[in-house]
Amino acid sequence: MVKANQVLVLLAVGMLVSVPAFAQPARPQIPPDISGEWRLENNEADTTAQPPLGDYLGIPFNDAGRQRSDTTAESIWGTPEYQCRPHSAPHQWRGLGGARILKEQDPLTREARVYHIQFMRSLDRPIFMDGRSHPPPWAPHSWTGFSTGEWVGNTLKVTTTHLKDGYLKRGGPQTSDMYTLTEFITRHSDILTIVTVVDDPLYLDEPYVESTTYAFDPTASVNMETCNASSFAENGGSDRHHVPHFLPGQNTALGEWLKREDWIPAAAARGGVKTTYPEYRSTFDGSVNVGTLSVPSSRSANAVAKRIADQSPKDGEVHIMPVQGNVYLLIADGTNITVSVGTEGLLLVNTGSAQMSDKVLAAVNQLANATVTPPTPNTCFGANCPGVWGWSSPYMNAVISSTAPPKPVRYIINTSAAADHIGGNEKIATKGFFPRGGGFGAAVENIGRAASVIAHENVLNRMSVPAGKTPAAPAVAQPTDTYFDDLHKLPAFFNGEAVILYHAPAANTDGDSLVFFRHSEVISAGNVFSTVSYPVIDVEKGGSIQGVIDGLNHILDLAVAEYRSQGGTWIIPSRGRVSDTADVASYRNMVTMMRDRVKDMIKKGMTLEQTKAARPTMDFDGRYGSTTGSWTTDMFVEAVYRSLKEKK
Amino acid sequence: MMRRMLFFVMAAVLLAGSAAYAHHSYAATYETNKEIKLEGKLVQFVYRNPHSFVTLEAPDESGMPQRWAIEWSGSGQLANAGVTRETLKVGDAVVIVGRPSRVPGEYRALMVNLKRPVDGFTWGGRAGQVVE
Repeated sequence: MVKANQVLVLLAVGMLVSVPAFAQPARPQIPPDISGEWRLENNEADTTAQPPLGDYLGIPFNDAGRQRSDTTAESIWGTPEYQCRPHSAPHQWRGLGGARILKEQDPLTREARVYHIQFMRSLDRPIFMDGRSHPPPWAPHSWTGFSTGEWVGNTLKVTTTHLKDGYLKRGGPQTSDMYTLTEFITRHSDILTIVTVVDDPLYLDEPYVESTTYAFDPTASVNMETCNASSFAENGGSDRHHVPHFLPGQNTALGEWLKREDWIPAAAARGGVKTTYPEYRSTFDGSVNVGTLSVPSSRSANAVAKRIADQSPKDGEVHIMPVQGNVYLLIADGTNITVSVGTEGLLLVNTGSAQMSDKVLAAVNQLANATVTPPTPNTCFGANCPGVWGWSSPYMNAVISSTAPPKPVRYIINTSAAADHIGGNEKIATKGFFPRGGGFGAAVENIGRAASVIAHENVLNRMSVPAGKTPAAPAVAQPTDTYFDDLHKLPAFFNGEAVILYHAPAANTDGDSLVFFRHSEVISAGNVFSTVSYPVIDVEKGGSIQGVIDGLNHILDLAVAEYRSQGGTWIIPSRGRVSDTADVASYRNMVTMMRDRVKDMIKKGMTLEQTKAARPTMDFDGRYGSTTGSWTTDMFVEAVYRSLKEKK
Repeated sequence: MMRRMLFFVMAAVLLAGSAAYAHHSYAATYETNKEIKLEGKLVQFVYRNPHSFVTLEAPDESGMPQRWAIEWSGSGQLANAGVTRETLKVGDAVVIVGRPSRVPGEYRALMVNLKRPVDGFTWGGRAGQVVE
């Protein structure tokens, strides 16, 4: 006979056994912890040493990528803007010194919110695991980019955007600044496997895939290599703006290594997607022609043309981004407007197109309202609070109060007379206010309440007279203060800082200015700099390629990197993303290379049409070129050619 | 055990030498099979890691005076060879043999040897006196 207590025990056991199955959901798999000190285990030739010049084996280069790499000189690392650059992101896992991975935990759930990866020659690289989105396309790019991570089974998939230009391997194979990097990081016990996928369709016909192995090593320690470079150019000479590079076809070092490794087919050493597949072997004996060879290449997932265009969104909207200090960026239908916001009012560098004026004003008011100090609760009671004078009670003053109106637009600076720089002048200046006296019995209203408009005098010369079918600008839109010297300072601090205009002679036109916010450390570059096109050079209006290069070098002279050749002084281009010295240096290098290539073609006696047909810009056309629109690649080449040919 | 020790020795060698790598390789920057001879006055001596630099005012091929940047070993390696920051002085007349830049028209070279005739000081050619 079964006793009652025995039944109870059996029931209890049965319940306990079955409880986990009924009451608790299946436990989610806990992802492996990848944090710790890791030692590089690869021993491939390119892991620490530098591959020989011209070794593009296994790289699916297109013609642009190959030319970009062929014309890059190793001496570029001696220029002041390059000496402190860390390894490029695709090479970091293969750089010397191991890797340290740290983990930031949520204090409540203890889930990894952020992983941090550190290499010897890198800055700290956060990988956000909290599901946040990537920054907008007009946000700055950096050496480490912006990374988000998600677990796919036991593999951490890391997606990185907003990277600067760099290299796939040390010493030659270059990347653009628009590539994306995807990493698959898998831990197998004490081994870490990292598969990196570089998707750079500007230079590669298919993504470039590499795998690297690390071993867990608690005794390892990743040193930080500090940079103690100098501001002097290590390339000698007396030109600190010297840009070392090779003209296409003139880099004689590319084939040197093949003399030592003569078993390697020279064509394979030049890279290309077909050379990376086993089927390529069938071309060695001539039985299959390379041109007809078919390989199962994979496609890029990087919509690079759209991503470039999105840096300057022509969407009829105004986007606001805080930059640094007092300075904000407004992107009005693709045109950049720099705004200083503070307690003294607002200063705009350029005003966008006329049709965007209302939306620009709304955005400006939004920024202005943010500077107004709202009433705050009184913390002192009675008529004798310290620091208060007069007989009114501070208690009453604080309770019976209202917010002061925001300060108006005081200054507009036009960096040129381009339509998208001055189009909003009339409406925005009219809504602004610049105190112009009012003494001696004259009412301020009688003198005029519009904002002050500042520009180089050649801008006023253009705006004050009709040009073809374009009438002269309305008086209120024209500059009220002009300068003709090499610089012009606002007469006093504005919003707590000096604002200085520098003339960029014969750059895009004869009236371009750079605007330097000296405490905020921001330079508004006007048309001298763009991240979405070749520089717009109007030779008829006094522009020249050399003037643009000089303007870019002037920016580099004024700007200082925060650390490791990035950040610090921010540069706002006429169009495109917020940039730093590294971006401007890369753009300056490109423009200088274009000058030298076209100059060489002129020296060889080539006509303009022959020069265009030779495509001197080929390796940068995917990045900055255009076959349609108001500024095509052909127009740029013609402007370069003319400004060099017609130079006295 | 022996293998583990070997690894530590290798790691130490790699880390010690890492400062000299920086970004650029000598072979990629300079014509390793060519030499140029420069005679002039020293105008700057930057004694540092990962690479030291001697700046020399000397004529180019056309006889025009130029500022030549001569890349030298890091201060650690130079110190081991007895070169200190006091060894060279601005104004010293020196003769330098170096490997020229691969970029045409660039005024830089990699130090092969240096001679200072006034006191017979020389560097280069002996053990530990190679920039690598």
